[in-house]
Amino acid sequence: MADENNTFTQDELLSMVRQWVPEERVPRRIRVKDTSDFFRVDYDDVVVLEGIPYLVRNNEREGRFGIPDAQKFWVKRAIDLITGKVKILKWSFREQFRSRIGDMVFECVRSPQKEARILEIVRGRPDFMQGESVKDSADNDLRIVDYIRGKTIEEVTLSSGKGHEDFFFNHYPSLLSDFMASIRAIRFLHENAEKHGDIRRDHLIRDKTTGTYRWIDFDYNYRHGASRFGYDLFGLGNTLIFITGRGDVTTHSLFIDKPGIFDKLAEEDLNIVFNNRVANLKKVYPYVPDFLNRILMHFSIGAQVYYEDTRELLEDLGEALERLRGK
Amino acid sequence: MNNGPNNKPHDKHLLIAVDKSEEAKRAVLYVADFIGGFPGFRVTLMSIVQAPEADFFENEKERAEWLERERQDIRHNLETYREILVQSGFPEEKVDIRMCRNDRKSLSDAILSFQCDMSCCTVVVGRQHKSKAEEFLFGSVSSQLIHGAKNCAVWVVE
Repeated sequence: MADENNTFTQDELLSMVRQWVPEERVPRRIRVKDTSDFFRVDYDDVVVLEGIPYLVRNNEREGRFGIPDAQKFWVKRAIDLITGKVKILKWSFREQFRSRIGDMVFECVRSPQKEARILEIVRGRPDFMQGESVKDSADNDLRIVDYIRGKTIEEVTLSSGKGHEDFFFNHYPSLLSDFMASIRAIRFLHENAEKHGDIRRDHLIRDKTTGTYRWIDFDYNYRHGASRFGYDLFGLGNTLIFITGRGDVTTHSLFIDKPGIFDKLAEEDLNIVFNNRVANLKKVYPYVPDFLNRILMHFSIGAQVYYEDTRELLEDLGEALERLRGK
Repeated sequence: MNNGPNNKPHDKHLLIAVDKSEEAKRAVLYVADFIGGFPGFRVTLMSIVQAPEADFFENEKERAEWLERERQDIRHNLETYREILVQSGFPEEKVDIRMCRNDRKSLSDAILSFQCDMSCCTVVVGRQHKSKAEEFLFGSVSSQLIHGAKNCAVWVVE
């Protein structure tokens, strides 16, 4: 394999760095690092991939459920020193593990190959993150992904409207319409026999440049049973309930803030998996119409039937959106 | 009733879909107890080999080895169940075993497609007890069979 690291001199690299980084942030010396081990690549290092030098910045972080953000050492933000564009470099980090939700334990894998495969399938689509897979010096898949500037659907939801009622009548229909476009994007994946694998409200970002929501981070896969896409649909349902409630409505928050409503809740009103979240939002916000609430209830403990695919969910949401808009 | 040119009655053909679970064993034992020894029935025992997606293996060799081990286990299982049915009174020539590879279709679709090809009048499966949440996330073959079956009966053995 050619030694790509010797392609650029110190002076050339420094001069490129100065184009994109404020003078006070320009390192005195550039260390060009081998790409095979992400633990040895630090802030201000340069890695060369497919002939392009990237100035490495911080590790990316991911937090959930109030747990402080965890650093993802294999995911680093970087600047393409030729174009100045910010990229995310995702080193190959394959791990197989058992995931647990409540009492359920299931096999999961983080697969760089899966993400590389999907990046190919969704190339050019505005509703998915864009990028390519290249080989690092140890011949592993390393993904170079465009950095998306924008807010997650969670941030958009929480910052829209003054209180739930204002949000619901003035912002929700348009947000729901956008989210339906994102469900159609997932339908495209499913039609291509791929799962997203980790559908969460912080994995859907509204691209500031295009205004379109893009799905990110599809390297997870789960071992499905009889329902191949059930876990993806569960993620879509959770996000739908989140945006409809303008945040998670938890039994705890109701117990503290609205005990009268808490007392009226039945077990059937709760999220089928996360039993501390309320799915029956009509009990909390009476102006949520039945035709919409019925869709949410497919994700509740009281559900008798479940959505088997995105088509059914989209059909119901399409009808609900029309009625919300008074058509 | 006219049963064809020779007026010979056709056997009722049951398809028992099994895996390595205790529930599948219960389904086989139920059929053995219920109709073993009665004339006019034939049974096909079928299992589906469904490998996890390639992402769950380091490489294709590892996946091929997994599949081979699985095939051997399943074959052994099917032979055992065949023996149970024969001992219950089914004539040997009226108990077939089949193993199908399926990676694309859902398990229930694969079973129903086989049922259709073999013109089985009844599909028999064991019911795995799952919580509502588990059924929601990962589905239930028996529920899918009940909803998806056409022109056949489905026996779900508890």
